[in-house]
Amino acid sequence: MSLRDNRKRMLKTFFHYLRAVNAENIKEWKIELTYKPDFIRQFIEPFVYLFPYFLYGFALLGGRYSEHLRSITGISDMVAYTFIGYLFIGFLNTACWAMGFSLRKEQWFGTLETIFVAPVPRWVYVAGMALHSTCHQGLIMLIQAVVIATFFAIVLQMSGIFMALSIVLLMLLGLYGLGIIVAGLTIALKQWWVVSEALSTLIVVVTPIAYPLAVLPLVLRKMSMFLPTTYGIIGVRHFLLGEELVIGLPTIILRLFLILIVWLTFGMIVFLVMDRYGRKKGSLSIY
Amino acid sequence: MVGSGEIIVNDIRKIFKKGKPDEVRAVDGIGFTINKGELFGLLGPNGAGKTTLIKCISTLLIPDSGSVTVGGYDIYREPLEVRRHIGVLTGGERSLYWKLTPVENLRYFAALYGVSRKVTKERITYLLELMGLVDKSNVRVEKLSSGMKQKLSLARVLIHDPPVLLVDEPTLGLDPYFARFIRDFVKNELNKKLKKTILLTTHYMDEADELCERIAFMNRGKIEALDTPDRLKQSMPQKQVLEIKCQGTIEKDMFETIDGAAGINISHGEGFVFLRWNTDNPELILGNIIELVREKAKIYSVRVTTPTLEDVFVHLTGASLKDA
Repeated sequence: MSLRDNRKRMLKTFFHYLRAVNAENIKEWKIELTYKPDFIRQFIEPFVYLFPYFLYGFALLGGRYSEHLRSITGISDMVAYTFIGYLFIGFLNTACWAMGFSLRKEQWFGTLETIFVAPVPRWVYVAGMALHSTCHQGLIMLIQAVVIATFFAIVLQMSGIFMALSIVLLMLLGLYGLGIIVAGLTIALKQWWVVSEALSTLIVVVTPIAYPLAVLPLVLRKMSMFLPTTYGIIGVRHFLLGEELVIGLPTIILRLFLILIVWLTFGMIVFLVMDRYGRKKGSLSIY
Repeated sequence: MVGSGEIIVNDIRKIFKKGKPDEVRAVDGIGFTINKGELFGLLGPNGAGKTTLIKCISTLLIPDSGSVTVGGYDIYREPLEVRRHIGVLTGGERSLYWKLTPVENLRYFAALYGVSRKVTKERITYLLELMGLVDKSNVRVEKLSSGMKQKLSLARVLIHDPPVLLVDEPTLGLDPYFARFIRDFVKNELNKKLKKTILLTTHYMDEADELCERIAFMNRGKIEALDTPDRLKQSMPQKQVLEIKCQGTIEKDMFETIDGAAGINISHGEGFVFLRWNTDNPELILGNIIELVREKAKIYSVRVTTPTLEDVFVHLTGASLKDA
């Protein structure tokens, strides 16, 4: 086969996989929209869960603003500070639940083996689910951001939006590595949700969602340095709210790059090993 | 291209829970070749290893040893090419997305198989017409009957027009009307008209007899016999079968005292008990048997017939297709 033919074939394969990823995304939207009450719930629930964070903050601070918070972060507005951190829980859910859940859901539908005999690599389904849940989560977060920012009159630095989104993109790619790990484990482990639950809880605790990094105990602070969400939150708060950076911006970007390479590589390895294990043991059709 | 067969299975083994007390030798050293355009049947009871074998061929499972090629592609080295080459009908009606319509289902699977958008549109129209599902094309699958779902599953399998089809228990749980449709479709449309190579698994003896050019009897992970249905039946040492249809309680050991009446096969169906003896001289045992059966049951019919595939299976394995 000539080099040109080879390139043509590779290009064809690439577009085939891309189309399959998009087909997965569209399929998920269509199925999701048939469960209308649940679809609506997913848009309302984040507001409900956010409220206790605010109330807790109000109770402790005696109001919305805090000089102490300003002294350690550069931001005095507790509502704005917490809200930005809270948005990241949605991204975490995307990775740990939506992506990790994707293959198990197919098992429940009874369609996993049917799609697994299609001529695309198995990660394509997880990637399709990642695309879907990123769009879904992005939409929820956009609505949340508009409503909360309007209701509480939060002033965001619009000049920093491009950089904030770039940081979020890098963070998301890192989180996808985590999602692929969980998706791979679900092939082999029946009690998949234990892994997912444990990982997401750990990350929520270690990630500075409602508090600055400085208040974490040293061990947890060290641990948080390996998580993309930590840098995502720090970066976004800096660009949208003007939080003082505790780590230099080049370091944040470099570490995010490293994390996404390591997590994605590790995720793919775990996924491929688990896929092979599942096909050896015959665990694909076991619920 | 390896060999001349479309599907070549060579000494394949798949053992689950290896080395444990409950070890299962699902596929135990099986080998056969299916020729291009052939309709080949795997006949065996539940748990014989038919589905495991299909899963190995379709790359869903990795065999412990042995080799398989489909259309010349090796399942270990070229799994994506193998999958492009085959259509797999397994899992029955659950193999579809119930919340989507037939058109949405077919469009999704076409994208997975890399069928171009233009061809997808043409194939969907063609397949829905072929299956008589045009008026249901925008109805959610959950609202279709089991038979319609199975028809749609067949359409799904054909969306990329594969040369090889692996069809696992296609009429399981279907009412007689849809079962007849599926059988006719597999035989006449897929095999005769479209020249597809088909590996069909079933535990319905009549289905295998009617559809398949060659049949492999599978039991406990092994192939007990492989030939055309006629030759399999001719291979029986006894050329006649005495069959009694009755209602009552019949035990196998009732007939032990009658010379030449060993090897009885008892099966149940539609409220009746069917007693079958493979024999060359039914008239020699008939009188004694009827006398014994009358004591325990009411006889509805007595007939002498030729061996069926079920008789061959019982002869080879000592168990019936339903009970093995």
